[in-house]
Amino acid sequence: MARRIVLTSIFIFLTVIGLLPILMMVLRSFVADERFSLLSYQGLLTSSREWVLLSHSFALALSVAFLTTIVGVPLGILLGKTDLPLRRFFAIAFTVPLVISPYITAVGWADFFGGDGVFANVAGATVAQAAYQFLFGLAGCVLVLFSTFLPIAILLTITALRTVNPRLEEAGKIVTGWSGVLSRVTIPLIIPTISLASILTFLLTIGEFGVPNFLRYDVFAVESFVQFSAFYNFEAATAAAVPLAVITSGVLLLEWFFFRERIHQVQTFSDRTALPLIELGKFRVWMFSFVALLCIIVVIVPLIVLIARSSSVSEYVAALKVASDSLLRSLLYAALGACLLTLIGFFSGYLIHHQAMSFWRTTDTLTIFLFALPSTVIGIGLISMWNRPWTNFVYGTSAMIILGYLVKYTALTSRITASTLMLIPNSMEEAGQVAGLAWMRRIRTIVTPMAKKGILVSWLVGYIFCLRDLETTMIVYPPGHETLPVRIATLMANGSAELIAALCVIMVCATILPPAFLWMLSSLRIRNLKQ
Amino acid sequence: MKIQFTVVLFLLLSISAIVGCGKKAANEVTIYVSEDQVFSEPILKDFEKETGIKVKPVFDTEEAKSTGAMNRLIAEKDNPQADVYWANEPIRAEVLKQKGVSLPYFSPNSKEIPDGYKDKEGYWTGFSARVRVLVVNAKLTDKPHSILSYTDPKWKGKAVITNPLFGTTTDQVAALFTIWGDERAKAFMEAMKKNGVRISTNNGESADLVASGESDYGLVDSDDGVNRIRQGKPIEMIYPDQGDGEVGCIVVPNAVVFIKGAPHPENAKKLIDYLLSKETERKLAFADCAQIPLHPDVQTPPDVRHISNLKTMSVNYTEVARKMTEIQPYLKNWVGY
Repeated sequence: MARRIVLTSIFIFLTVIGLLPILMMVLRSFVADERFSLLSYQGLLTSSREWVLLSHSFALALSVAFLTTIVGVPLGILLGKTDLPLRRFFAIAFTVPLVISPYITAVGWADFFGGDGVFANVAGATVAQAAYQFLFGLAGCVLVLFSTFLPIAILLTITALRTVNPRLEEAGKIVTGWSGVLSRVTIPLIIPTISLASILTFLLTIGEFGVPNFLRYDVFAVESFVQFSAFYNFEAATAAAVPLAVITSGVLLLEWFFFRERIHQVQTFSDRTALPLIELGKFRVWMFSFVALLCIIVVIVPLIVLIARSSSVSEYVAALKVASDSLLRSLLYAALGACLLTLIGFFSGYLIHHQAMSFWRTTDTLTIFLFALPSTVIGIGLISMWNRPWTNFVYGTSAMIILGYLVKYTALTSRITASTLMLIPNSMEEAGQVAGLAWMRRIRTIVTPMAKKGILVSWLVGYIFCLRDLETTMIVYPPGHETLPVRIATLMANGSAELIAALCVIMVCATILPPAFLWMLSSLRIRNLKQ
Repeated sequence: MKIQFTVVLFLLLSISAIVGCGKKAANEVTIYVSEDQVFSEPILKDFEKETGIKVKPVFDTEEAKSTGAMNRLIAEKDNPQADVYWANEPIRAEVLKQKGVSLPYFSPNSKEIPDGYKDKEGYWTGFSARVRVLVVNAKLTDKPHSILSYTDPKWKGKAVITNPLFGTTTDQVAALFTIWGDERAKAFMEAMKKNGVRISTNNGESADLVASGESDYGLVDSDDGVNRIRQGKPIEMIYPDQGDGEVGCIVVPNAVVFIKGAPHPENAKKLIDYLLSKETERKLAFADCAQIPLHPDVQTPPDVRHISNLKTMSVNYTEVARKMTEIQPYLKNWVGY
């Protein structure tokens, strides 16, 4: 009974805070002068500009998805299955851009190629100017989003490689070398995961607003934001978001039909020492050089540029003076958002993993759909729903920001929990049931302790994504409660480049340091327990 | 158990803090601001220090084309959260008046501000202005001195203008429509397009394109020009159309608006009085935005010209606001939206 109540409540909660605002917004877009109307969609169907936006959105999303896949998968194999030196360091280093807001990376690149940037000093003003122009457009967007989303392909590939049965590879090695095993055994087995990485990257890119807007490349996500913010045309903003919603739904359906079952059938092998490693031999140095160079280009350069620009201590003092309240607020909201995300994601993940109720699949699809939906759309939907005098206890408070986090990022914590629960044998919970333990007690005393590590990961991921969130927060934050990313975005209008760079570095530290600290604490604790 | 207790305690405290932040405290004032945060925030901090009234701001972003705050005010008409709106130009203030979002308030500090820069019925009052100027690459020997140069074949493909759907460029174009009439203004716009004008996303970008030499000149706000000149960028600023028989340059003052249903009306009036003071105008003149005071006897730095030394376009902002809404479909079409 408790199980039914809790899981149904989670489903209803997600529907009310996530789906209902979107549905209200869509319904509103079909009304003009209190009557049914397709007026908002007229431009969508007749304007040639919409086709340009569509082609731009597709060109960007496909380019980023393609590049991250063809670079990320080999990199994932190199880092997860070979004896490449420093492979753990590289795996962590390549993850850094994912935890930083992509527009910060874009600022770093713009500074690098700018008139007084490092590149101009090295290559000369003319070449730098050409590169700067090149950056502002499709190429720049692809570069920034490629570096941001590359970790998705790398990390998913590394994870998938651990699920491949080593016996199959050993059998393959009897008749062929590692290249044959990889191409005929390993890669075909992890193709569903590779496809998932590509799809996720495609969806995240097509919904991305900050980078195309900063680098002046017109896509649907930017159009939707401009329609809302500049013209305050809710209906047109919704209409501009409809193609994105249709594309998102289409891609999710494809994933559902072709890959979901196959992914669930993959076995998990938790004993890492049993995984056979590929010896690179004479290629070790070359591969190391290639990976190091790529790491320098996509991770180190933008960070170094920001640090170099903000090198004076006085800039950091000024930055903290200007934004310390925003920083503290960001930390509080991110921590609270992460706690709630972990809680809701836990039960949602439990529901999905155990297929505990008939609506498990709907819950899974709903969370993924909301994650892939552009943040602007989510923000507009939340405002449509809560901007009323009698709901001011939500609209007039930071609860709007937290709701935005929950709508956007539950998919992450839900999927992490589902993956964690896959590693816990069902028999454990069943034993508790046989012993007469109630469901909540089984969750508290059996499942939670065993899923502790996954819950921590869930919290960390939730924290990072909440802290870096700009687009939803920018639309819904209440007066006087702006977060650090919003503060950086508003200061970008005529603010000093040095101050903005310093704030970006502070933002990166705020994102990385608390999780690193928690991770260290947990590792120490595990080590002590083992001893 | 300890961890669970800590997490629950943290959640309870955080939720109560969040709900608490929504309660309207007596000694605070909420302001929505379209003026750049980097210039407006120090003024608001000074107000806090001097009066002890806490200011809760919402700032616009460049991405929202400086109209996000105004649009939020319109959306919140039946559920007002703000007390005051600091618009970075008067046209949006006029739009709010027309939509019934604002209330009249005659501040005692507005008496010396010329009538042309405030609403007769008190729905908005102008202060610290910008002027629309031409920024020209310093290397040019032959320089344009009129906005009509946009249609001169001599400058074909060499000029840049900010997207006229947004910001002060919309004001400028709408003002030209009110002064020249639709026919002449449309002919000007079409000739400009035919002359290969480049369209940028904002005034800052226009000024940067001129500074980098990608465009020879562009029409921007005076603060964009002064800001870049102070940064050492190779541009010069020209006040356009200052000759006899020419239209003059358009003045774009900030405008402060009292919001209908403001949760803190008394504090709102105090803040409006503060923004309209000579001291605020002096601070904004010396800041990097280099804004021109509208009070007659405010001290300014040498590179900020006084309003009385400029030939300005005679503009009726109410008429410009009406025209701006009217020509939006034409402008969308002109830009290619």
